[in-house]
Amino acid sequence: MRKTRFRSFPVLMITLAFFVGLVYFMINLVIHSSEWASMPYNGHLSESDTLEMTGTITDRNGVILAKTENGERIYNEDEDIRRACLHVVGDNSVNISTAIQTLYRSELSGYNFILGLGSPDFMKTSSDIRLTIDSEVQKAAYKAMGNYKGAVIVYNYKTGEIICMVSTPTYDPENIPEDIDTNSDYEGAYINRTISASYPPGSTFKLITASAALEKDENNEHREYDCIGYTEIGGKTVNCYSVSGHVDMKDALMNSCNAYFAELTVDIGKDSMQKQAEKMGFNSSWRFDGIETVKSSYDVSKADENSLAWSGIGQYTVLESPINMAIRSSAIANGGNSVTPKLIMNIDTLFGGSLKQSDNSPSKTMMSAETADKIKDMMDYTVENYYGKSYFSNYLDVCAKTGTAEISDDGISHAWVTGFTKDEDCPLAFSVIVEKGESGYQVAIPIAGTVLDAAAESLGAA
Amino acid sequence: MEHIAGIASFAIRLAEPFLALIVIIMAFSSLRGGRRDEHALIVLENEKDNITFPVLYWENSIGRSRSSDIRLSDPTVSRDHAVLLRRNDGWFVTDTGSKSGVYVNGERTDGRHQVAVGDIITCGTTSLVLRRASDTGAAEPRHERKIFPQGIILSFVTLYIALLVLQAVINMGNTDALIPGIVFIVVIWLYYVISRAAFKRLNFELESLAMLLSGTGIILAASHDTRQAYMQLGATVLGLFIYSFMLWFIEIPDRVMKWHIAISVLTLLLLASTLVIGKSVNGAKNWIIIGPLSVQPSEFAKIAYIFVGASTLDVLQTKKSLAAFIFVSAASVGCLVLMSDFGTAVIFFVTFLIIAFMRSGDIKTVVLAITAAVLGVLTMLSVKPYIAERFAAWGHVWDYADVAGGYQQVRSLIYSASGGLFGVGLSKGYLQYVFASENDLVFCLMCEELGCIVALLCAVVIGGLMLYARAVTTRSRSTFYSIAACSAGGLLVFQAALNIFGVTDILPLTGVTLPFVSYGGTSMAACWGILAFIKSADERTYARHKPKHKKPKAKLKRDEEYQEDYVEI
Repeated sequence: MRKTRFRSFPVLMITLAFFVGLVYFMINLVIHSSEWASMPYNGHLSESDTLEMTGTITDRNGVILAKTENGERIYNEDEDIRRACLHVVGDNSVNISTAIQTLYRSELSGYNFILGLGSPDFMKTSSDIRLTIDSEVQKAAYKAMGNYKGAVIVYNYKTGEIICMVSTPTYDPENIPEDIDTNSDYEGAYINRTISASYPPGSTFKLITASAALEKDENNEHREYDCIGYTEIGGKTVNCYSVSGHVDMKDALMNSCNAYFAELTVDIGKDSMQKQAEKMGFNSSWRFDGIETVKSSYDVSKADENSLAWSGIGQYTVLESPINMAIRSSAIANGGNSVTPKLIMNIDTLFGGSLKQSDNSPSKTMMSAETADKIKDMMDYTVENYYGKSYFSNYLDVCAKTGTAEISDDGISHAWVTGFTKDEDCPLAFSVIVEKGESGYQVAIPIAGTVLDAAAESLGAA
Repeated sequence: MEHIAGIASFAIRLAEPFLALIVIIMAFSSLRGGRRDEHALIVLENEKDNITFPVLYWENSIGRSRSSDIRLSDPTVSRDHAVLLRRNDGWFVTDTGSKSGVYVNGERTDGRHQVAVGDIITCGTTSLVLRRASDTGAAEPRHERKIFPQGIILSFVTLYIALLVLQAVINMGNTDALIPGIVFIVVIWLYYVISRAAFKRLNFELESLAMLLSGTGIILAASHDTRQAYMQLGATVLGLFIYSFMLWFIEIPDRVMKWHIAISVLTLLLLASTLVIGKSVNGAKNWIIIGPLSVQPSEFAKIAYIFVGASTLDVLQTKKSLAAFIFVSAASVGCLVLMSDFGTAVIFFVTFLIIAFMRSGDIKTVVLAITAAVLGVLTMLSVKPYIAERFAAWGHVWDYADVAGGYQQVRSLIYSASGGLFGVGLSKGYLQYVFASENDLVFCLMCEELGCIVALLCAVVIGGLMLYARAVTTRSRSTFYSIAACSAGGLLVFQAALNIFGVTDILPLTGVTLPFVSYGGTSMAACWGILAFIKSADERTYARHKPKHKKPKAKLKRDEEYQEDYVEI
């Protein structure tokens, strides 16, 4: 019978494989359980009445943005703050997919590996989350946006902390409008436009074209050009808003001379443009605190010469998210290296919460320090000599570039502004998009200025 | 009040894994303790040099080959020369086709020949004298068997079930689970009492483990759908009848051999009839619907198939002819593939490999079979490429989260994670609303509602059954039982693997049941039938008891009543 025993060896192997499989599943469960449990398909979190989120969410100063009291989820008592923070905090549903209450639903509900979502009512296992945003700055941004649709993002380009992230249209999570799905005023209200929407960047893209040119050859800084208000490229015209006359790069950027940058784009070529755009965050998404942003897109592989020229001034098929724009401004401010934003200051939890920062995007070298400094000087020059420093901010020294991006042939345009402050004690990078705002200078800058001043006051730099 | 209920339900959830663990530890250590030591009762002594060979097993091969239990290095002895068998009525020697023949006391034997102490068995030029081990001084001190009192193991099973029922009642706020639970506990103890009284059975370790799994499945069903619980309960009772019948039927291997061909035909008939009159449910045409009953004949075919495979007229599997068995196997797998029941087809195939190798020891057969299977799969995929699409989501189910192919696995993983170690509580889960949660996804349903410890322990029980089946291969009363037990255990483990790893996206999802736990009447009943093979390999199952007069009222702490040394020589 020894023979029979010997021949049962393969059965033993099957059994061992079975146990190895069980161990493998357990390891997977340990590693991924938090991620799996927080999936939006989880009925415990999206359908249950009994497992309410019980964790509290506060802003950077401890102001309560959302908490649970007597089994009910309540938000800040100020309606403006509720509306301003909607896209960051979220509502009771999972409609806003990038909101903290959606992404961190399992932590807020007290998920932990030991008890899963089965913690009994008498045991508090939920996490409290402190955000980096400032509710007062949020409110100022929301008010400044008025009835415009759009987005504002301001973050600290040294620490990455997002001070302000506002998207409009918005709604009050405590009184969700009944006509939200039908009324066009609420179109896209579930989208956080700062991270999940992208628009033609218009003239703000000239910063990328300029860096591509400088990265290719630093002498491009001194390239000169006579603007007559338009130019012919590939048999079609590229128009300017005005006649800039004899300009070098610095003046061309200040005057936002389309002809200059269109010619420059064609001159440095597709490959350099494509490479520089991708170095500056295009065609990939950013990840931080478990949030994944929309991809900004730049693809000139099929563009003819005229289209290539338009791409260099942020038109053609180019699309960019407000957060990408703010991040690339952070790189210009920071000697060429981008700073990845963050939204969560800390998580306070019984079991030690997971910050979901393991797959955060790393800092990217977007350009050389020399290029960054040159672009920085040009943006400084632009504000100094064109927009006016005091038009921007009462307290801060701002470097910026506006954009007015055509979105249709009938001349409707989105208004942009992006930039950063030079202040050591208040180092902020920002971008503002105002849909159908028509003019970056007239509409976007005042909003940016208001928000930057609010941030300066809040951070004690006023 | 609500508060107290919440605390009670939570406390029960914390207690369940420990109770299950206690049952498992007791049952398996009792199985281990109840195993016979491998020590010699008799020895064979070489007349020439007085070297003794201990006789350790119920069936001992004598020959020149390296793997013989009694190895004689005598060139006149065949590689597989003879077998020395222990049966209830004594010891026998059988010639297994040797060239020079087997002689007992100088007379050439033909077929099975009884031998007694002092007899001389001659193989080739070697003569062996049969002696009692105690006479030669080769006997080692015997260890006493240590088994747990069986009633206590079953009591813990009962407590485990009772707490599950209590938890279901608290969580559901009604008494739906109460009656199935009580009936199940009554079934456990009725079986215990009847087996002891009528069949003189003293060991219930395997039954306790199977009851632990079945009970978990029944109460899980009761907390979601009472009708299913009653179905499952009925199937368990039917399963116990099948189990008892099978234990009686296989007690005499000769009886099994006699029915060998009939059972082969039955296997094929079960599968072929399904192919002809079967109804297609969820893509696999493996159901026969008779009035209100729907049965899956392929489940019963599994039992018949193990019979066919393990029973062979060859003594000690010395002949390598597998032709008939290969034919039955190929036809069975073919039928299952035609039914699109790929999961069961793979289970049959793996069982075939186990049996074929254990019977023949022939690696060539195994390699050929696997090659044939791979070619078969490739041919099928090139003829019917849509079959591959059924498994397209395998390995990346998250990309199929909201479409067929990945929907079930994604929910299963999410809800497994939601359960933590102790579960969210019976009926409190969400996986119950996903299609096939109570059978294909039942492992993850357990993870969610009872916690992953209980779910894992259930899987460990199935793996443990297999390890036990293998541990007793040299201690069973016949190689027939050893092979049947190993193939039965292998079948259960492999099926459990397909179920558990299918739903957790480690293997493709094939939709087979988790033995004993999944909802499915035929499956439940068939699992008990398969368990009978493992039980039959436990030599205590068919032990005759010593005449009562020796120790009239001895307590059954050690099962010394067994016939251990009670062999008429």
